[in-house]
Amino acid sequence: MTEEEVINAEDLDYNFRYEISEKVGAKSLLKCIQCGVCSSGCTVTEYVDLQPHRVVASCLLGLKDRVLSSNAIWTCSLCHRCTERCPKGVDYSFILALLRNLAVKEGNCPEEYRGTIQTIHDNGFVVPYTGGLATNIDRRRQRFGLPKFVPPDLKEIDFIMNETGIGNLIEKAVENKESDK
Amino acid sequence: MMEYALYLGCTIPLKLPHFEFAFREIANYLGLTFKELEGASCCPDPVATQSISIDTWLTLAARNLCLAEKLGLDILTICAGCFETLKTTKVLLSEDKAAFDRVNTVLKKIGYEYKGTSDVYHFAELFSQEKYLEKIKKILMNPLDDLNVAVHYGCHLVRPSKILKFDHPERPETIDKIINALGGKTVAYAGKLECCGFCARLQEEIGFKLVEDKITELKELEEGVDVMVGVCPACVGQYDRKQRLISRKTGKELDIPVLYLPELMAIAFGVEKDKLGLTTRSVKPNKLLEKLNI
Repeated sequence: MTEEEVINAEDLDYNFRYEISEKVGAKSLLKCIQCGVCSSGCTVTEYVDLQPHRVVASCLLGLKDRVLSSNAIWTCSLCHRCTERCPKGVDYSFILALLRNLAVKEGNCPEEYRGTIQTIHDNGFVVPYTGGLATNIDRRRQRFGLPKFVPPDLKEIDFIMNETGIGNLIEKAVENKESDK
Repeated sequence: MMEYALYLGCTIPLKLPHFEFAFREIANYLGLTFKELEGASCCPDPVATQSISIDTWLTLAARNLCLAEKLGLDILTICAGCFETLKTTKVLLSEDKAAFDRVNTVLKKIGYEYKGTSDVYHFAELFSQEKYLEKIKKILMNPLDDLNVAVHYGCHLVRPSKILKFDHPERPETIDKIINALGGKTVAYAGKLECCGFCARLQEEIGFKLVEDKITELKELEEGVDVMVGVCPACVGQYDRKQRLISRKTGKELDIPVLYLPELMAIAFGVEKDKLGLTTRSVKPNKLLEKLNI
């Protein structure tokens, strides 16, 4: 038996559900009937602290902090079976991506993901492609007789990342991490 | 003949050029023509980028789509992750006017305009069309007779079907049709639509469990499995590397070779095996090649 937990109504964030559902891809949140199909088909259901249908229920109830601090939102393998099978058309995978975005805004960004974004920013790709590394890659491609690889203008990638705010989010995550030390 | 803008992504051209080589070889055999999508960036990846900022993800993806629009061509992807990102972006931006405007506000400042005129395809969709299946049967040099093939579709190719519209989400046949045209048999197995776990990056034990479950099931099949094929570099690498690690740890004999579909097609089309980079695999496909007398 788990201990009974009491949460006061004034601690709930009633607007949380609308913070999510105002995004076009996530408006389906409000249609959930708590049938649990998402959780029964979930690839990682045995690894999460909150199963998919309970994440949705928590969003609807306004348990914002609990949702954004759960491991459930980061454990998902993005297999999309929840979205595929939901009889009400709730796009749980997209809602989860949005919840991750909200968690990152609060400064909670996994180091691995931050690293990937930095690599894309510096190279245009998830694989480092600069200097000597690029020379080696080009040589390998040549051995297979492949055409010359033309990378993107990195100024454009930097511009898009800054304009869409991802640069700030990552800096914030780094600051948070440093202040934890 | 239809022409496509070839979108390579990053993992295949930069880390796995032998996959790209195999793809270009078979595309050439099948008479597919394309223009290179020069200046394209990472799709960007549907895990890290989307998780941190959906807006960044959509805008970078739309920039790639713009490059194909400039060429006036549809996009052909050779990785399931790229397929998911680019196709989902196209669908989301067509449904969400506000996101469409936000994306274009940013893109216009660097001289792009996203219109939504190019469609996105994965090569498996093309090659399973009747005209290509017929062509495959005609140019077959080494039919995969008596070969039992386990097809792994991969999540980002089939789900969510509402967006990707690739095939039936629980009973897809696209890749099976291609294998059959090559002369091979595909095995039915319970875990066919299971995830490889690569994208559960923060908890590696999930990937290990999923790989062990799937390969164990395949090893226990009565008819025996000669090879597993996938169409995504992440899935192929995941099953190839992890099954060896699991073998070492548990003593279980997990040794099913995993090939990228174009590699198996290239073998069947008679491309010299030494050109294909098959030796890079953790599980060497030696028995498979012996069975085919190659």
